[in-house]
Amino acid sequence: MSTDSLNRRHFLDFATAGIGGTALASLLRDESGTDAAGRLPGLTPTARRVIHVVATGGFSQVDSFDHKPQLAKLHGTPLVSEERPDVFFGKVGLLRQSDWAFRRRGDSGLWVSDLFPHLASVADELTVIKSMVAETSNHTPATFQENSGFRLNGFPVLGAWLSYGLGSASRNLPTHVVIPDPRGLPAGGSINWTNGFLPSEHQGVPLRARGSALDNLFPRTPLGAATERDSRRLLDELNRRHLEQRGGDDALLGRIRSYQLAARMQLAVPEVTSLDSETRDTQALYGLDTDPTADFGRACLLARRLLEQGVRFVQLFSGGAFGRPRHNWDGHEDMVKNHGREAARVDQPLAALLTDLRRTGLLDDTLVLFTSEFGRTPFTQSNAGVLGTGRDHNQYGFSVWMAGGGLRGGTSYGATDIYGWKAEKNITTWHDFHATVLHLLGIDHENLTYYHNGIERRLTNVHGEVITDILN
Amino acid sequence: MPRWPASLLTPLLSVLLPALTLGLTITSKADDVDTWWSLKPLANPAPPRQPSESGNAIDAFLVDRLSRQGQTLSRRATRRVLARRLSFDLLGIPASPEAVSAFVNDPHPDAWSRLVDRTLANPHFGERWARHWLDIVRYGESQGFERDKLRPHAWRYRDWVVSAFNADMPYNRFAAWQIAGDVLEDSNPDAVVAAGFLVAGPWDEVGNSQQSDAMKRVVRQDELEDLVSVVGQGFLALTVHCARCHDHKFDPIPQAEYYRMASALDGVRHGLRDLPGQGVPERTSARSATMLTRRRFLEERLAQLESAARHEVLKARKTSSTTDAQPPAPFARWDFNSSDIKEAGRDSFGRLHGVLHGDGKLDKGHLVLGIRTHIVTPPIPMDVSAKTLEAWVQLADTRQTGGGLVAVEAINGSSHDAIAFGDLVPGHWNVSSEQRRRTVDFRGPRETDGERHLVHIAYVFDETGRVTAYRNGQQYGQTIRTRGPIRYRAGEARVLIGLRHSPSDRARHIRGRIDRVQLHLRALSPEEIIRSSGSFAQHVSDRELLEHLTEKQRETRDHLLFEIKQLSELAARWNAWKAYTVVPRPPGVTRRLVRGNPADPAEIVTPGGVSAVPGPPPGFGLAENATDTDRRRALASWITSKANPLFARVIVNRVWMHHFGRGLVETPSDFGINGGLPSHPRLLDWLASQLISHQFQLKPIHRIILNSRAYQQASRYRPEAAATDADNRLIWRMTPRRLEAEALRDAMLSASGSLDHQIGGPGFYDFSTHVNNSQFYAMKDPIGATFDRRSLYRTVVRSGRSPFLDAFDCPDPSTKSPRRAITTTPLQALSLLNSNFAIRMSHRLARLTVSHAGPAPQAQVQTAYRLCFSRPPTTDELKLAVAFVSEHGMPAFARVLFNSNEFLYVD
Repeated sequence: MSTDSLNRRHFLDFATAGIGGTALASLLRDESGTDAAGRLPGLTPTARRVIHVVATGGFSQVDSFDHKPQLAKLHGTPLVSEERPDVFFGKVGLLRQSDWAFRRRGDSGLWVSDLFPHLASVADELTVIKSMVAETSNHTPATFQENSGFRLNGFPVLGAWLSYGLGSASRNLPTHVVIPDPRGLPAGGSINWTNGFLPSEHQGVPLRARGSALDNLFPRTPLGAATERDSRRLLDELNRRHLEQRGGDDALLGRIRSYQLAARMQLAVPEVTSLDSETRDTQALYGLDTDPTADFGRACLLARRLLEQGVRFVQLFSGGAFGRPRHNWDGHEDMVKNHGREAARVDQPLAALLTDLRRTGLLDDTLVLFTSEFGRTPFTQSNAGVLGTGRDHNQYGFSVWMAGGGLRGGTSYGATDIYGWKAEKNITTWHDFHATVLHLLGIDHENLTYYHNGIERRLTNVHGEVITDILN
Repeated sequence: MPRWPASLLTPLLSVLLPALTLGLTITSKADDVDTWWSLKPLANPAPPRQPSESGNAIDAFLVDRLSRQGQTLSRRATRRVLARRLSFDLLGIPASPEAVSAFVNDPHPDAWSRLVDRTLANPHFGERWARHWLDIVRYGESQGFERDKLRPHAWRYRDWVVSAFNADMPYNRFAAWQIAGDVLEDSNPDAVVAAGFLVAGPWDEVGNSQQSDAMKRVVRQDELEDLVSVVGQGFLALTVHCARCHDHKFDPIPQAEYYRMASALDGVRHGLRDLPGQGVPERTSARSATMLTRRRFLEERLAQLESAARHEVLKARKTSSTTDAQPPAPFARWDFNSSDIKEAGRDSFGRLHGVLHGDGKLDKGHLVLGIRTHIVTPPIPMDVSAKTLEAWVQLADTRQTGGGLVAVEAINGSSHDAIAFGDLVPGHWNVSSEQRRRTVDFRGPRETDGERHLVHIAYVFDETGRVTAYRNGQQYGQTIRTRGPIRYRAGEARVLIGLRHSPSDRARHIRGRIDRVQLHLRALSPEEIIRSSGSFAQHVSDRELLEHLTEKQRETRDHLLFEIKQLSELAARWNAWKAYTVVPRPPGVTRRLVRGNPADPAEIVTPGGVSAVPGPPPGFGLAENATDTDRRRALASWITSKANPLFARVIVNRVWMHHFGRGLVETPSDFGINGGLPSHPRLLDWLASQLISHQFQLKPIHRIILNSRAYQQASRYRPEAAATDADNRLIWRMTPRRLEAEALRDAMLSASGSLDHQIGGPGFYDFSTHVNNSQFYAMKDPIGATFDRRSLYRTVVRSGRSPFLDAFDCPDPSTKSPRRAITTTPLQALSLLNSNFAIRMSHRLARLTVSHAGPAPQAQVQTAYRLCFSRPPTTDELKLAVAFVSEHGMPAFARVLFNSNEFLYVD
């Protein structure tokens, strides 16, 4: 009996014990070379992979995508509201207009401010949701919710759910990859790409866009080709004898295979992360040659290359933690300085990414998401009656954008009030957002579940409605 | 069985079908909630009668079920296999080759049960089983959320769990203390520490300090859900927390009962507190001594490493011959060379004998400054204008601010000039003066070495008013210009040592040890300063040193420094008689919240339990404003009641799960309708009844299980048994298991002879950390014996997870993980092949085998096999291995062994 048929016959033993069932499932899929997404019941996916850009700190809707002419008129006046705004730092200053001029862009006439001039040039690709709401205005719980649907530690993030639900389409690379901002990790560090209660293979694998991309790909001091080769042979020999003596066992066989996969990964990772192999034009398009854009440009270009190799989900961080200096979008003190600096780092690379994905055809079945844990207040974070220069956190209404397969480009959805403070029309929660992302990937969000401590857990908890209005 | 999403089942359905048609009771269908199995009182069934050779009562239950399927238990495993199995199962580390041979050759008929008894009595038992418990209770040593601050004193709870398991503390007390130890026995440090269970999870500092009251209330409700959830799932396998927003969707738990339980826990708050009593001095001091020895050893190694480079720096520095000349004679000198504390202030050069105040002590010629230690001299009998103050000092830390090292002050308090540290800019030396008139920053570099070495500090005040500072003979920063020196008349000034100026005040004292102080009544020249600083000018700065070290030396130096720093932190944490545990606050009146919304309160509820649980009354008979003590005491006694069938069932199921790899109920923290059904309900109840009849002691239960034939079965795959029960739910063999992440790391340390077997104490850090609003953790692979402890003693930071352990399924410490997933991934292969840790362990195993077995590869291979696999190699294996070792060396072979399935899997 060949080990392969042995493997399949005894697979049950392995899967029902809950021991690495999904790991082996993905190994088997690799063998057959098929893509799990095509087999999901009911839905036809319009996208097969995702790049998710997380702008940490909270980027301002009223300075970017949510054009509020009234806010310009009311600039320097107090907010008129029946309720006193309940803001994070408790200071409600005067209303402040956008520091960047808004214009209609592209054929669609989508409003984009001068904060994102490059992105504005591809406005027809964007689907902006202007009516997002979050459950908290506290960064980290809000970021957890943005990624996992829950405000708390310990729940699997979107990428982990996709890795679990869709499996890998790559033989050689991890399914769920994270590229942190080289200036620092977001607060909460690896909690932001946790597998939560899902098996740990679904955890995000952090890659670096510079230097050595992945830890432990090779020993720090090389052992020599002959030693490596003979070590693998000896290992394989010992493992095969061990397997035979035990009458065959899938877990053991799975481990033998994992060394073959590891060897393939050792070839694939250096290749995929070698950005030098891109043309000078492409490198220039992403801004690799200039200072403020080089970091994020490298991340975007690497993300595209990973997707091409079958990686399912790549998450890019624009911004790190909340200390000082503040390397993120948390513009409490000075919006012009803060958002000006952060946007300059990402604007050109993001536009390049969309342009590049479009010209290679990849954007047809790829989703690009740009989100922030919450937005910012239309009034400044200053004492009453004072017009400050910074804005506080705003959970009640903010903007995110999406682009790619299955979406209506050049459109916006939902609306905030006249100030850009609270979502009023088509209020959209993270659960709705996540449900929509899953839908685009061919997954009914109510079907993607995992049993944990008494509950069939979902990314969308017990909520979530697909936003059909933005679908093609 | 775990539930798989339909999407994943689809491709697997064909292979899954046989299990579904087997007719085993593995699907959960509850037509009648009242008769849900887990909510029935305990039955105390008699074991079925079995033929005589069938082992103990457990086997009777199992064989009864197997035989109905036409199956039998497997044959007994070999003694070698059993020894290895038992060691990993009970201790989490491999059996030593000696222990294995002793058991293999033990002629006694009770060899096995004696081995079981010995192993249960081994103190590593508590470590192994504590890890299982910590998974359930979401134990972490940092806050989580945004700030994720370290909890340096959380480890005492972990240690308490270890010792409770080792002492076989009755499980009902074990539980009661964790729920209410701090209020049940508030003068018992162990009980106070035990309550750390409640606060072992994440805590949202930012959420608790935000401006918005509405949001703060939500954060508090989240905290209460965490508490209800860990208590409900941990002890009763009831998902009470699912009823926070509405009645439980599956189990008979109304929403109001969630709030009754929340009310019982409403006094619980996170915090750090001083423990009652005096600690455990003898143990602590023994450990401190070990750490000190280790620290001295490391400091010596550091000195050796640095000496050549230091020598070169000094050689380059010696451009003049001034250093050979005699140092200038001072007016007065205090060198603390007496051993009599009364003599501490003696002037060994002149006659300015001072008096010691405060609680300083003399140690090896140093004045060690304690609380408010300072020396005051009699009046200086001469006029003073230009002057030089000098001192050799080692600071207690460079974070201290405002302390004075040596000062000349007017006795009437009108003026002073002092060498001060961090008085103006933290970490910098500056002049201190009355009303800060001449208090100017020299703009010198930040003091970084001052806590590692003695530094020589000298301030020269010249006749023109210039003040120049020197550090180790070299000018420190810039010269300061003042209007002119203060002129003190004879008899109007005095010297202070250890104090910036009179009167004594906590903020004016420097902390550290002073080797010598000198006063000159004139301005010394730069050359004189170099001469005076003498041998202490041999000190070389870090920057100079690094320039003269090779990359490899720098790395070694980093590791040494990291470990030295770690040792002082560990000692401080050992000695702090504190614990992160419950710091209760008077609870409030609890109301049910409509849809869980704090803005929508409904009726008042009083503290209570879940009414669907039979046995103890769910109402605690307490008023809505009952005290925290009353509430938690009542909750603890409701949970631990002998009449509460869930309490005993849940723990025996957990114990069973860790011995067999799977529980009799497969969802160990959920015995509700959404959870699993027991594969052997009568056996489960029998074990639960045994626990109660053994006064809730767990070791007797372990013993019964381990002495069963079922436990001692071989693990070999049997196709004919698998044909009807591929899943092995009826336990026709022992399921082979992969080592968990921690056990794998520990096994590598152990096999390579590196493992530090000491039990307990504060955990090591495998990260460097800094606070910048939030606390950040940069993961490290620290090298040094301090870090070669069991993985249990790795400080568990929520945002600083270990890549090595994570790869092998170490769970997110923020989740309650009653059962670990075991996955197989290429990243695991890469970690085991290539990580610095794995490579290092390979080299150590190689070194160990060479030192044990000598130069012959045959003997080395045999030793390595015994260490890694608890068995000798076969002739064939030996041949293969020796050929490999001859060509590629022992470290490469050790690496292969660590990567092998036989190393990772336990039969």
